[in-house]
Formats: sequence, structure tokens, C-alpha cells
Amino acid sequence: AAAFGLYFPRKEYSENVYIDQPAGIPLLRIHALRDSHGEVAHFHLCQNLIISRARSHENHWFQIREKTGLLYLSKSLDREDFNLLSVGNWMPLSKVMLYVFLSSHPFQEKECDSATRTTVFLSLMNATAPACSSLTARQLCFTEMDLSFHIKENKPPGTFHQLQLPSVHHLCQNLSISYNLLAAEGLPFRYNENTTGVSVTQRLDREERERYELIAKCTVREGFREMQVEVPFLVNVLDEDDSPPFLPNGTDTADAVVEFNRKEGTVLATLTVYDADTTPIYPLESSRKKYTGTIITDDPWISETFRVEHIFDEIHFSPNGSQVRGTQHEYKLVLNKSISVTEHRSFMLDVLVNDTEFHGPERSVMLHFNVSILPVSIQFPNMTYQFTVNRNAERFAQIGKICIENCMKFRGVNISYKLLSPNVSCYPVSILQGREGKWGSLYVNDSSVLRRPECKEIQYTIQATDKQSRKHTKTLLAIVLEGTLLKKEEDCPDSCAVSKHRAECEECGGFGVLTGRCQWRQGSGKGITTNYSTCTPSIKTCPDGTCDVIESKDPAVCPQDCTSGNIIGGHGKGTGNLGIKSGHGICYCFPRQNCYCEKDDIKEQLCDEMCKTVI
Amino acid sequence: LAGPPSPPGQDPHGWRVPVDCVRANELCAAEPSCSSRYRTLRQCLAGRDRNTMLANKECQAALEVLQESPLYDCRCKRGMKKELQCLQIYWSIHLGLTEGEEFYEASPYEPVTSRLSDIFRLASIFSGMDPATNSKSNHCLDAAKACNLNDNCKRLRSGYISTCSKEISATEHCSRRKCHKALRQFFDRVPSEYTYRLLFCSCKDQACAERRRQTIVPSCSYEDKEKPNCLDLRNTCRTDHLCRSRLADFHTNCQASFQSLTSCPGDNYQACLGSYAGLIGFDMTPNYVNASTTSITISPWCSCKGSGNMEEECEKFLQDFTENPCLRNAIQAFGNGTDVNLSP
Repeated sequence: AAAFGLYFPRKEYSENVYIDQPAGIPLLRIHALRDSHGEVAHFHLCQNLIISRARSHENHWFQIREKTGLLYLSKSLDREDFNLLSVGNWMPLSKVMLYVFLSSHPFQEKECDSATRTTVFLSLMNATAPACSSLTARQLCFTEMDLSFHIKENKPPGTFHQLQLPSVHHLCQNLSISYNLLAAEGLPFRYNENTTGVSVTQRLDREERERYELIAKCTVREGFREMQVEVPFLVNVLDEDDSPPFLPNGTDTADAVVEFNRKEGTVLATLTVYDADTTPIYPLESSRKKYTGTIITDDPWISETFRVEHIFDEIHFSPNGSQVRGTQHEYKLVLNKSISVTEHRSFMLDVLVNDTEFHGPERSVMLHFNVSILPVSIQFPNMTYQFTVNRNAERFAQIGKICIENCMKFRGVNISYKLLSPNVSCYPVSILQGREGKWGSLYVNDSSVLRRPECKEIQYTIQATDKQSRKHTKTLLAIVLEGTLLKKEEDCPDSCAVSKHRAECEECGGFGVLTGRCQWRQGSGKGITTNYSTCTPSIKTCPDGTCDVIESKDPAVCPQDCTSGNIIGGHGKGTGNLGIKSGHGICYCFPRQNCYCEKDDIKEQLCDEMCKTVI
Repeated sequence: LAGPPSPPGQDPHGWRVPVDCVRANELCAAEPSCSSRYRTLRQCLAGRDRNTMLANKECQAALEVLQESPLYDCRCKRGMKKELQCLQIYWSIHLGLTEGEEFYEASPYEPVTSRLSDIFRLASIFSGMDPATNSKSNHCLDAAKACNLNDNCKRLRSGYISTCSKEISATEHCSRRKCHKALRQFFDRVPSEYTYRLLFCSCKDQACAERRRQTIVPSCSYEDKEKPNCLDLRNTCRTDHLCRSRLADFHTNCQASFQSLTSCPGDNYQACLGSYAGLIGFDMTPNYVNASTTSITISPWCSCKGSGNMEEECEKFLQDFTENPCLRNAIQAFGNGTDVNLSP
């Protein structure tokens, strides 16, 4: 804590200064509030005037009464002074800035570096002081600056503002200007008619109420005329750390199960801690340090394998109808590294949450995570795989997926699939690793083998291995060849995607086809749609929006999913700029070159109304 | 010495006309005493702590000498050659003079003297009609058409639109950094009669207002997964010389003032709109928060959630965007084709 706790209830003050105003004119009154009883405020002015654009000038004109905080003009500001202070000011209005400092003991050195300061903006008006009669009621009653104050909670009461403007009061003594504070009934604020001072009458508690909205009313009487002005008068209560952490619904325990998801960074469980105090997210790091969460363990394996992540967010409490801000802290138990499939243990993991700035006995709470790490088995489902492959299938035709038990649920487990070669010469298929090491994709690697009559049913052994633990498992795979060989069309391209019309599509084969013929997808949508018309080796896999491992082996298989080249015509590109996500009309591609999306409406144009008439 | 170094230029009123900081730096480098003091000051500021710096006699002396040099008053121009270098020189001195924590900082840019009416004059040459009389048309669409008819505007606009809409991967929606750069190029290099028409077109229906909101491709350049705290965002902006300068320029030219008819400093709408456009493509990029036709609400992508005891300051910062009568009047005046007529 600071050596003294005096503070300003406002960050900024403002007033106008006119040319040739006489020395001695009071300009404005500054107040200070105390941290503890018995403190006496001393005000002091920094002897530099800061002119906008940061040029500073020695202050010859303004002084402050050390005891009362009254800022006054000590020397008349003449035209020459005005010009001097205006140089370098670009704006039509010249403003000078002064810092006022605060101390609980008389100032000895006239230094300008105390932390407790407020800023006074003085607008230098390029004119002599206006006559009182020419001022509006608003100008007579209040300055331009909002009446907005901040008062720290838990501090002794005191006067923090004076409604009367000292300069106006001094200049316009023949006017009667009176004030009142409205909507203050039942609130801890009082207006003193004699001094026009506003004070706070008791210690405030931010967790009860953090904002008071009152109205300052001013009445100007001049002979029989009476004018009234009302402006908002706002008080914000500043927070200090005076509330301990607490658990919503008393929940301090959560289950954390590690099974299929074993990847580093996985969030296993979350526990929440509330605090009625606010926590600024700016600057973030210092707030994190103020509210700590530490794993209590002397087991090095636990401290290496887990970490706690702390995030916090503003929430609202309603203690008595009015809303006040509070904080919700979330502590997440996170895997600090991927856990091997063989690991098997369970234990209680304790996390100590500490509100380091709260000075009380209940500054910490203990959170408990019930951790169970279950082993997962690497095994195939209780069956052998059997796939039938048409003899007319072409290279890169996708036959099927191989997957160990629960493989799609795995994260952080990397399984590799391998075909152990059969003892025969028939060897048409290969396997490729799917993304994220979850499954294996079987595809035709050598289509000439499919055509050989001696190859009918081929037995393979598949082996799946967990990369980390080297655990492996095997199963049998049978590939049955079926179908009769079709006569191959002449002049067919390698790629189905080249065909632009249904007829030419369906009479040709191409890379990736399953039954020897490409398939036509008839789009139905209008305009640019994901359901565009196109010719594909297999509607199931192409185009499906992802360029899978087999498609990416050769650009001729499915350029609709994999092209990175130009697409001409109306289209939308796929993720990562690969493939055609949406297209206009029919999309067709020349592999390694461009793709085209266009409407096939030549037929309609062949004979329109015009041509019929001519005939 | 006989007196302070001769000023680089004087205007008829005897005021020193500021030179740009790159030029001022050259002038200072040619003068041994100035250049050595400038070097000293830069070393003083390298520590970045103002109080330690001012405690040092040598640093203080350097600062005092430099206040008399052309470096002290120097300014920069928007979109000038070596703009970044100019701003680096500017802040190298001014960071030491200000606290660096002030709510409003003075703009390092030269004041804008042109008026909105200059733009209207030019704009009417393209459109061949008075925008105010044609109430049925979609002004935002007209603005896009006008831009497409100009090679430069069309090229830079399609440049930023394609950069900002290019998907990188399933998790990364676009490259925000590249999008911001392309937007800055557009607003720096295309004349404001095109860019303002796109940005500040007036709307009578929602489709038009949505097009106006989409002008800067907000899904990439504006929105983010999370809304940071505005003071945090301001802090991030102030660590970057360009962003800091543009924000200071916005505060200088758009700060609502009670002392003018329009609420704008010097009743200069053009200056406010210019510094608003100057923020686009930085961390503090502002935009329309919705496609409302009746009320215009502008905000950077931030909120005051989690401000703690700084909530009042945060709200004040945010309200300079969301509830700023100067900015709102300037946008409306541009949309209506009206400017304040001021006798010089």
C-alpha cells in the first residue's frame, strides 16, 4: 500500500481564463478525500505549464492554496502572455495543462513527481472576460466538464466537490446563483447550502452499489427572472480487494477422465470460483498473478503431466436490486503432454486458489480434481474385413476404411496401419494413412492385377501399431474380385473431371472409378452452389469438400476437391484455397491446368424467338 | 551564441511553419550540437521510463536544447513518403515529453485545411448529378459503381476485397495482417472522393446500410473471436507508431467540442472523416456496429467488460466512437452532401 492514502475524487478539472483578468481571481476549487481519519491534505502545483503538443513553460500565473485547494490567478494574463502561451497551439482554442499534487504533509521540495495528482485544463480565451449578463445559465452554473466523481470504498466520509464556480461567484456577485442536489434521499450524500459543498456521509461499499446517479440543479435569479439548469451528477465507487473467493453451490470437486482423448492441451475438467471483487483484464498478466492456482503435489510425474489454466470473466451480482460487477474465475485442468495408451492410474489432484491481495483468513480455496487415467486397448473389432472390388476399378479407387476399435474417438494417439504382403503374386491394393493417424484408407494401387483371371480372392494381414507405445494388433482382410471386364473405350482421358457432359462422362472411366465408369452428379441449385454439376469417379468421395489422402496422390483423381490452379467462371474456393467449394452450372477441370465453371445453355440459345420468326 | 537557431520558415504572422520530421532530422544532423543532443535523448529514452530519464541531468539538458530545434515542432503528412520514419522521429522526441499515459495525445499530422465541399465539387463531376436530389437511389451502390469506373480505385478495392476474403485454412478464416495492409493501401492511395463515398454513403434501407457496413470486409478486418477490453486495445495500438499516430489524429480532429456549431473542432468535417478513415487497417479499426438506417453507431472491436476501476475511463474512450456528435454529424453531413459554410 502507498505511504499515504489521500486521493483526488476527479481525474480532471477545467476552467476558462480570459485576457486581462485581474490577479487574485479564484478559478476553481480542488478537493481531496482521505484514506484514514486524521489525514490532512496539502495541495501543490507543479511549476510547469504544459501546453498542448507537450511544450512546457514556466508557470508565472497560477497558484494554489496549499490548505484549501483553491486555484487562483496570481498574475494577470495579458495579451503578450496569451500570445506566448498560444505559440505552437494549432487548435483554435488554446489549452494549458497543470498538474496538482497531493500530500499528507506540507510540501518541502517543489518537485513534480508524486504519484497522486490531478490534471487541470485551463482554456485560454482570446477575449476579455464576458459580462455576467452575456453568460447563459448553463455557463453560470457549471463548467463544460461532466460532474463525474470516483470515491474509494471503505474510506472515511468527506467533502469532495463544491458546486459553486469560484470564478463566476467572484465576477457576478449581483446574481443570485443557488444549487441543490436532487435524488439524494436515502443516499449517502449531502449538500451543504452554505458552502455549496457535496460530501459523502458514510463509508461506501462497492459490492453493495457501485454507481450513484444524482442530479445537480442550479437556479439563477436576476431580478424577476429565474432560470434553472439540471445536469447529471455521477459518483462511481472504486473497488478494492475486500472479498474472499467463494465456490458457487459449494462445488469444489470435479471428475477428470482421460480415455480416448489423450492429446496435449486437452481440457479435462473445469472448476469455477467466484469473487465479488472486480478483476481488470487490463493489464492481463498482473491480474493473473494476483489470483493464482497451483497444483499441490510432490509427484514429479503429476506436475509434468498436468497444468492448470486460469481464465476469468466479468459477471454481475445483484445484492439488493442494483447490479454490481464481480468476477468468475475458471480453473481448467489441462494435459501438459500426450499420455501413453498404456497409462493406468487414478488419484486426487488438488489445486490451491489464492486471492493474493485479499487480507483476510479466507483468502484461498482448495479445488479437487478426481483424475482417472484409463488405458485403451489397441485391437480390431472382433471380425475380419472383407471388401469386394470390381475388376473394372481403376487406380486410386477407394475401397474402404480400416479402423481399430474406437479409432474415431482417439485424439493424441497415432496409429499406423500396414498391409503384410500375401504369399501370392496378386497384390492390387495398398493402404494410406488417414489424417490425424486415426484410420487407414484402402485403395487400388495396381489395376492390371484386377484384370488377371487367376486373382480372385486375396488374403492380407493388416497390422495396426500405436506409434508411441509400439503396441500392435493384427486382423485378416479378404479382397474378393467380382464382375466381368468391360471393353475399354478409346480416347478416354485419365480424369473423369475433364468430361463436360453427362454422356461422355458416363461412357468413360478414369482414375479412382470403382466400376469402370465415371459418375455424373446432376446439380440442382441455381446460381453459384455447392451442388454444382460435375463428372466424378465416385459421388461419395468426390467432390465432398475435402482433398483426402488418396485424392491428393494424383491431381487427376479429384481436382474438384484438390485443385490449386485457376478456376474460370463463377465459383467459390474451398478451404485453404484448395478445390471448388461452389460453382456455377457445370464445373470441369483439366488436371494440372485450369478448372472451368459455366452454365451449359447453348441448347436454349440455338433457337430463340428471333430465330423462330426468321424461319 | 547569438540566439536560437534560425527557424526553418516563417509564416506572415511570425509563427514558425513546421517542417516535416524527416527534413527536421536532416537539419538537426547537419548541426553538431543538435545531432549530439538528439543522440543523447534517444539513448535516454531507450530505457522508456520517463521518471528515470528526467532525473538525469544530461537527459534533461538534451531535452531543453531540442525544444529549440526544428525537430521539436516537426509534423508528418498522411501518406507521405517515409511516413513511418517521420513518425518514428516524432515519437522519439514526444514520448519523452508527454507521460505516454495521457488520455488524448496530440496528432503528429499536419492539420487538414481542405473542406468537404471540395470533395462534393469533385464528386459531382463523376456522377453528373447532385447526390442530394436523388433520394431513391442506393448511394452505397452508386459509390461502388463510381469506384469500379476508376482504374486505381477498382484495382485497390478488388485488391483488398480478395485479400480479406481469402480463406487460409479451416481454423484461420483469413490473414488479418494482409487484409489490414491492403485496406491501408486503399485508403492511403485512393482519393477521398471515392473512399468517403463508399465509407460514409447515406442509406434509407437495410440492404444499403448492410453494404456500407460490409465496405471494409468486417469479418476479416474488424471482427475477432473475442472482444478485447478497449483500454487493452488502446495499449496495443500505442505500441505501434502508426496506429498511435492515427488514433491521436482521430482524437484531435473528431473530439466532440461544445464550442462549435457542429461539435467538431474548428467545424472541420473533412478533418474528422479523414482521421476516421486513417484508423482503418490498424488494431483500432472502427466500423458500423449494425445495419441500422436510423441511427449510426460506430465502434472499434472492443468492450469495457473487465475494466475494473478503469471503467469510467474505458467508457469515455469508447464513447468517443459510439456516442460522438462530431463524428456522427460529419458522417451525416457527408451523406447529405452538406458542409458548413464558413467565411474564411
